[in-house]
Amino acid sequence: MSMIDTNTLIEVQDLTIAYPMADGEVFRALKGISLEVARGQIVGVVGESGAGKSTIGKATLGLLDDNAVIETGGVRLDEARVSHFEEHMFADVRGKKVGYIYQNPMTALNPVLTIGEQIIEAITANTDKRGDAARAYAIELLEQAEVPLPEDRLDKYPHQLSGGLCQRIVFAIAVSAKPDLIIADEPTTALDVTVQKAVLDTLKRLAKRDNIAIILITHDMGVVAEMCDYVYVLRHGAMVEHGPTADLMQSPTQDYTRELMAAIPRIDRKVERFAVPGGLGNATDRQRAIDYLMGNKADRQTANGDEPLLQVRGLSKVFTTAATLVSAANSFRAVDDVNFDVYPGETLGIVGESGSGKSTVGRMILGLHTPEAGAEIVYRGRDVSSITSKKDRLEHCKSLQCIFQDPYSSLNPRMSAGENITHALKAHGTLGRKEADQLAGDLMELVGLPRASRRKMPHAFSGGERQRIGIARALSFRPDFIFCDEPTSALDVTVQAELLNLLKDLQDELGLTLLFVSHDLSVVRQMCDRVLVMKSGQVVESGPCDKVLVDPDAEYTKGLLAAMPKFEFS
Amino acid sequence: MLSFVLRRLGQSSILILIMSILVFVGMYVVSDPVAVLAGEDFTEEDRIALAEELGVNRPLVVQYLSFLKNIAQGDFGTSFVYNRPVLDLILERLPATLEVAVLAIGIGLTIGIPLGIYSGLNQRKPATKAISFTTTVGYSIPNFWQALLLILCFSVWLKWLPASGRGDTTDLFGIPVSFLNWDGLSHMLLPAINLAIYKICMQARLSRSGTQEVMYQDYMTFARAKGIGRDRLIRRHLMRNILIPIVTITGLELGGLIAFSTVTETVFSWPGIGKLLLDSIHHADRPIVVAYLILITLMFVTINFIVDVLYALLDPRIRYK
Repeated sequence: MSMIDTNTLIEVQDLTIAYPMADGEVFRALKGISLEVARGQIVGVVGESGAGKSTIGKATLGLLDDNAVIETGGVRLDEARVSHFEEHMFADVRGKKVGYIYQNPMTALNPVLTIGEQIIEAITANTDKRGDAARAYAIELLEQAEVPLPEDRLDKYPHQLSGGLCQRIVFAIAVSAKPDLIIADEPTTALDVTVQKAVLDTLKRLAKRDNIAIILITHDMGVVAEMCDYVYVLRHGAMVEHGPTADLMQSPTQDYTRELMAAIPRIDRKVERFAVPGGLGNATDRQRAIDYLMGNKADRQTANGDEPLLQVRGLSKVFTTAATLVSAANSFRAVDDVNFDVYPGETLGIVGESGSGKSTVGRMILGLHTPEAGAEIVYRGRDVSSITSKKDRLEHCKSLQCIFQDPYSSLNPRMSAGENITHALKAHGTLGRKEADQLAGDLMELVGLPRASRRKMPHAFSGGERQRIGIARALSFRPDFIFCDEPTSALDVTVQAELLNLLKDLQDELGLTLLFVSHDLSVVRQMCDRVLVMKSGQVVESGPCDKVLVDPDAEYTKGLLAAMPKFEFS
Repeated sequence: MLSFVLRRLGQSSILILIMSILVFVGMYVVSDPVAVLAGEDFTEEDRIALAEELGVNRPLVVQYLSFLKNIAQGDFGTSFVYNRPVLDLILERLPATLEVAVLAIGIGLTIGIPLGIYSGLNQRKPATKAISFTTTVGYSIPNFWQALLLILCFSVWLKWLPASGRGDTTDLFGIPVSFLNWDGLSHMLLPAINLAIYKICMQARLSRSGTQEVMYQDYMTFARAKGIGRDRLIRRHLMRNILIPIVTITGLELGGLIAFSTVTETVFSWPGIGKLLLDSIHHADRPIVVAYLILITLMFVTINFIVDVLYALLDPRIRYK
């Protein structure tokens, strides 16, 4: 131990952390991990969710769950064995020596306390500034973190500020006592692409100024490429490989690292499929599912592929908030005069920042929101508002389906996977119990899940698997049109790649038409034929992806493209 | 703000109107005041005279309308039994009930919340298991039986506390209260404890489940990570977040205690309004019952209003919606 370089700030050695499980098994979140960070160095720890990367940060700060057991090794911070500290010994570590940045700034700040109180309590706890001096320092910190109007923000509550601003406030808290190390746990995952880069730049600048080292935990190779000097790749709690960022990204030695990089959608070129292994299900079951899904396709298919499946004209939506104790009624135009066509079998993308109205467009097409008067939605040659009979309405609804953004809340947690897929069909009396069970199994195989797992409850599946169940559910209605509302934004890159592959395959096989909404330009580039760029409810630019996302006309699109993390590897 | 208050008032007037009709009709159907009040030796003529004196010989609709008219003039009517203004009777009894109710809620909050937070934070400790067991038992014991046990224990065996009555009172701003002298306070303790046991258990369970939910929130972990001491973590970060459900329930419970602690007041012969209500139902004293329930409704409306204001103070997300 004493042989280490005096410049080493933190050393994780052979760390194994285990959680005993209910069934007597032991789950090891980390398996013999060793890593080192020098003063002022920015080190990336990369891996998918479940790779155990957050556990390293928690072990350093004594924030592990009560039932976690350190089986081997430990963490040394400045020669002190922090991984084996008692709770009271962390007083000198938390906030003082190590600052922590949480994945989601909206949940990391206490919703019922003002920003000012939350910064000042950290200053009071970790520095000798009190009262007015602490307040002045809080304002100074916010200025340094590039928060506009810092004085006003002190009296605000977290929900009144955007995610990007909240994360800057978290940065201000983390650097308040000029720590030696900042552990940043997925600091930009919850933020819009457009603000990610600026937020990371701020973090890097603050760290460089005070010579603060950073352990940057992320699943995003793009972020690593921009920020880190050195990178460790983790998988299932074990070290895969490590090295200086440039070397490792130029010539990764392990398949997993290559896969991780290949899975990242790229903005600069389009690939047919992502190079990740995607398991296909049992062939007979798949075929049976496809037969079912294609069953009544023939009579419904528009003979002429040149005719749009969906035509949207003058689509607008105004949301109005009710008057309250303190504010008058307020209305804003979420979607403003949007027009487009979608042709059978194509994928139309809509990109934009959150709040640009892109999801609202899709929801109006599905009939989940009512558009403002004057809008016209024509589906298969028929104006949607003219559908009045209950039977036609049902047929129409079945033909337009949706895959939701959040795979965790979009499945009913009290129904098994199979019931989730078919309960609506059963409710309509279209299917008997046995047929439903059979269909659920076939569809599970079709989306690459084992047939037997249809009896498991949603919580037993990972995010990616749940999203597959969501796809199977949408398919069960034999739709022609599927609205994909950011279907992969909650998923890891490799899982995202697998899922996008699946969607492409299903589209080829079933001739589906997709409306694909995303804030991620590279995902849209990979998935879509044409794209609409939306800003504040209006379409800024539209056209083929190869044009709009390569050589855009609108300044706004250029800005979006510029904010993307770039890769300097081939 | 004003429109909010006005809307609330409008809603509650309708509520009170409907409730008064129900009680009026209900009391008319179930009992006849003349039959209850008339002596053994009353002749038919005496009965008619009595009915006329009480005003119950008129059609029910007429009785109800004249009742409404009197209320509009601030007159809640005159008790059939005591032959005194109803409002005076109720207001005489109210301080006794309020005192006990507030004391019981106070005990419930000061003991229940710390117990709940402790057991929420230390889920594996034996003390937590003990708390959980005790609160389950305390939650389920019938109120009257628990009252008898308390009397047996503290009055009969230990002879520490008196078992019944209100004891000496001291005037506070012209209102007689018991808690300002020892004799009164000692009379108050047993009924208050009897009511408080249930409240302690409930608050403990509420704050335990709140604590368990809040302590795993990201902002709690983040607050620990930024070096906040344990005291501040619990007082500011945890408490502020678990208080919202506690405030709701406490508001409702306070109303419930004031209005319906009838059983406890009866067992301890505590001269509160709960006991007045029970006696009045028994004696078919309709003016008291109706006036009492109207006042109680008003009280619930007021408490709910205060709870809503507290919500907004506690949770900025509600305030700025």
